[in-house]
Amino acid sequence: MQLSDEKSIYLQIEEMIEDQILRGILLEEERVPSTNELSRMYAINPATAAKGLNLLVERGILYKKRGIGMFVSAGAVKQIVAQRKSNFYKQYVVGLAAEANVLNITKEELLKMVSSAMEGKTTL
Amino acid sequence: MSENCLVCRQVTKSYGNKEVLKGVDLTIEPGHIYGLIGRNGVGKTTLLSIMTGQNRAGSGEITYNGQPVWENETALSALCFSRELSPTILFGQNTLKAKEYLKSAACFYPNWDASYADFLIKEFGIDKNKKICKMNKGMMSLVTITIALASGAPITILDEPVSGLDVYMRDRFYALLLEEYARSNRTFILSTHIIEEAANVLEEIIILNDGVVRLKENTQDLIDSCLYVNGLDEVVDRAVSGYERLNTEQMGRNKMVCIRLKPGQSFPTEQYRGELTVSAVPLQKIFVYLTRQAGEENGYASFNDRA
Repeated sequence: MQLSDEKSIYLQIEEMIEDQILRGILLEEERVPSTNELSRMYAINPATAAKGLNLLVERGILYKKRGIGMFVSAGAVKQIVAQRKSNFYKQYVVGLAAEANVLNITKEELLKMVSSAMEGKTTL
Repeated sequence: MSENCLVCRQVTKSYGNKEVLKGVDLTIEPGHIYGLIGRNGVGKTTLLSIMTGQNRAGSGEITYNGQPVWENETALSALCFSRELSPTILFGQNTLKAKEYLKSAACFYPNWDASYADFLIKEFGIDKNKKICKMNKGMMSLVTITIALASGAPITILDEPVSGLDVYMRDRFYALLLEEYARSNRTFILSTHIIEEAANVLEEIIILNDGVVRLKENTQDLIDSCLYVNGLDEVVDRAVSGYERLNTEQMGRNKMVCIRLKPGQSFPTEQYRGELTVSAVPLQKIFVYLTRQAGEENGYASFNDRA
């Protein structure tokens, strides 16, 4: 597996674990890979892997069991969806609107594009 | 605080009238992987050999666990500096065999792990009976890596470990290093020129420049602290005022500035969305900007620009 250079490694670890929880690869109340396992799999320093996991602990998505490891919290899926929803406007919609402005795409055109994309069409 | 730390205080070294190290202050703490980077001739190998008592400092002090390192058997047995092997030695070709190097390492390092050494020799395909002068550069690197990893020394230094290795073996080396680090939590210092691919393995970066430690910082924090801001020159100038600039490149009206954020400082990317492109800076570029010498600020000279 490969990490990109675009974004901090620990943020990529955080996001990857989140994605795996959303996709049902990691289940609630299940142990997540340890820092050493992540370190080995991605060839990264274990401290960096730990930083990514700790971000998830701080947000309550993972919790620590002393001496055993880190686990997915009950309700993690719901929480991730809620948090991503609240970031959705800032992360995607604002940028979309800004790019539309640069390209002189009107509000009507943009709304039409969005609804056709939501219907699953890959081209206009 | 100084427990099991390797500490340099105001270390200097001159060769003839050339002052290579001009007062190095550096603390190596246990349980980390450090990367020592610096340009050719900046004194990396000199510093590492002084830190491990293989070379004498001009002035200053080097201590391990609070005790001076020089001619101190206890300290020296805790430090391993696996130097690059050379196909030639003082009086001609280096006709020593790999097994002779391994044998002396086994005598020298009290924590030498013979079974781990055997595993590495097999893994790397090292022919123990081959003379050093008959080996290619990659094979010599693998011998020094084997000695370093199997030394079991609490602080282990590898000087340019990957320089002669192909891509496959470099990957293999990083994986083995991380595995041994996870197992033992020993401290490793790697000097390297291949910065980008080592970046994810190194917890801290130490940049040696102009005879002193220019920077010692967590690798990810350093990468996070640098940003490229790219766009119309006036907008860029307005946006980056008040930030430390590491580099500026201009082409026509387009300007790209590399800024470095101070701790706690941030850049309002959102505010400039659509106007400016803000992106991450590769570690290698950060290194280039931080280690420029006088006269190199305006980028590289071009033969096309000659008068």
